[in-house]
Amino acid sequence: MSNRGPRGVHLADVTWAWTVRTLKARYQQASLGWLWAIIQPVATVAIFTVVFTRFVRVDTGSVPYLLFSYTAVAPWALLASALPDMASSLVTNLNLVTKIYFPREALPVAAFAARTVDFAISVVLLLGLVLFYGITPSWRWLVYLPVVFAIQSMLILGVGVGAAALNVRFRDVDPVMKLALQIWFYASPVLYPVSAVPQEWQWLYFANPMAGVIEGYRDVLLSGRAPGWYLATAAVTSLVTFVIGYGHFKRVEGRFADII
Amino acid sequence: MPAVVTFSHVSKRYQLGLARTSVTGLAKGWLRAAWRGGLPQAVDGSYWALKDVSFELQRGQSLALLGPNGAGKSTILKLLARITQPTSGALEVAGRLAALIELGAGFHPDLTGRENVYLNGMLLGLRRQEIEARFDEIVAFSELEPFIDTPIKRYSSGMTVRLGFAVASCLEPEILLVDEVLAVGDAAFRQKCVRRIKALLDGGTSLIFVSHDMGLVKAVCDTAIYLEAGTIQHAGPVADVIETYNTALDRRRAERVERPGDDGGAAEGVLEITGVAVLDEAGHPDGHLSADRPAEVRVRYVAYRGIGPAHVIVRLQRSDGVSCCVVRTVADGAPLNIEAGPGTVSVVFEPLQLYGGTYYAVVWVTDADGASGIARATSEWFEVKNRTAGLDAGDAVFEPARRWTHHKDVGR
Repeated sequence: MSNRGPRGVHLADVTWAWTVRTLKARYQQASLGWLWAIIQPVATVAIFTVVFTRFVRVDTGSVPYLLFSYTAVAPWALLASALPDMASSLVTNLNLVTKIYFPREALPVAAFAARTVDFAISVVLLLGLVLFYGITPSWRWLVYLPVVFAIQSMLILGVGVGAAALNVRFRDVDPVMKLALQIWFYASPVLYPVSAVPQEWQWLYFANPMAGVIEGYRDVLLSGRAPGWYLATAAVTSLVTFVIGYGHFKRVEGRFADII
Repeated sequence: MPAVVTFSHVSKRYQLGLARTSVTGLAKGWLRAAWRGGLPQAVDGSYWALKDVSFELQRGQSLALLGPNGAGKSTILKLLARITQPTSGALEVAGRLAALIELGAGFHPDLTGRENVYLNGMLLGLRRQEIEARFDEIVAFSELEPFIDTPIKRYSSGMTVRLGFAVASCLEPEILLVDEVLAVGDAAFRQKCVRRIKALLDGGTSLIFVSHDMGLVKAVCDTAIYLEAGTIQHAGPVADVIETYNTALDRRRAERVERPGDDGGAAEGVLEITGVAVLDEAGHPDGHLSADRPAEVRVRYVAYRGIGPAHVIVRLQRSDGVSCCVVRTVADGAPLNIEAGPGTVSVVFEPLQLYGGTYYAVVWVTDADGASGIARATSEWFEVKNRTAGLDAGDAVFEPARRWTHHKDVGR
């Protein structure tokens, strides 16, 4: 069916407009405004630092635990906040989906984009901490950090866009998502270093792309090292996730308005 | 001439059981089906909102969709707007399409009018610079300048539809879809919209229009399609199709009078005004009247049961909503006793004495003490010519019969 005018709706424009709208709605009425973007991860890191340096000792080598944990909490927070937003983005905007046509992926993608603004703020804080702890900036940051972020974005977009489409049909996407995020958190090296995972299990451990992403951020940012083979694994699994999630979305998007 | 919209054998089926469900619900369905040995079946069946609908719309043409609720009009608009997809058949849309389908669609209540104009424009396919270039025109047309930085949620429904129409029509769409929404606006704005629609049509825009207001339909459309239960009953010139449609409606009403016990009748009121015609002295309903000639407002109704004493009120209103005169059966000592079945009430103005312009009649039927309305209807618009043609411009409502004299005063 060729039901497309010579001039379609511009995905980038709509996504941008919707992102701005989301951010405005989120921060306009909050008295602390954008500070909430860092309060959440900072509080998490404070708790982890107390628990895992005073109560239970986690060996993080020469890296202070606080820095070690914040390097993982910041990207994890992006994933954990973006995914539920993305999953509910279609069903909470019924009036748009059922009454006007536009590229539907604009909604989940904008939900992700709005959370990357929070992430950017917390990255500024992260870089401040890194410098504060006397780590010298490396040229590898400029090369590898964007690569790691791109892999992470691909992963989040794949899962989030797919979940948004599933959520239209199945109401239990929300609880499933909560449970999955909990398990996923412990399956990722946020609290503990990868070295705590037995050597013979590491190939399986890195099948979780988020493990590769977090390890990538740590290697590049804290040690100035180039990421190892695990990042390639993460790139492949993220790409597969993206193709499946986005592909599912495109396959069912024509029926959204009929089901919602 | 190239068609801008082509429907070829389009059908649309809605699956009634296909609501949002849970994974466990789905799993149960599969298990139950597997137990019986087969595939799960659609739970509540399905219905066809459209069945084998084919039509074409040429550039600059305007098409009205007529039919009762649930006939498939909205489904056609939704298919055109790409909100939903056909089950079978193919449709082709060649051109930029702007849809004014539902009140406030595409508007976000928390955003201001200004922000919504941009968001809406982008959702309709415009670039930011293009919206910027048209922004002032949009605001001017909507007449909402003082409120443009107020959140939409504080707008009245009339204001919302004004902004919606302004955005949709200022985009210079190649195809414009307009649903019932215009019914919300006041008469003056409605006429402004009609003028804008006509200007767009002259500029080559094609229009698909849905309205229950036959006067409006006749004013803007040249062709029409009458739909019923998802199939095309009649397609052709607008006047012919309206006639077919009205005949079908009359027939259905007559059936209801014969079966007054029908519960459908009770729900829809005890009396229905089936037509308000404004006729010239020869009885022609062509909508052209003269100030100095008689005119008749003829109200046809169907009562589904006997009502007894009742009143009829007729108001003549100028197109911008100014009330020009109100006449009542009760005030004029014309008692009315309504029995079950069809009937006609008529009032003759001799002469009409309205100033040149566009008017319409509003009719109410009320109960004996005039306290509660039973039915209300409006006529199509009609044009009044002044006694002296060519002088219709001016802001007046009254053209009395008159006599001029002139003489020179002498003796001072």
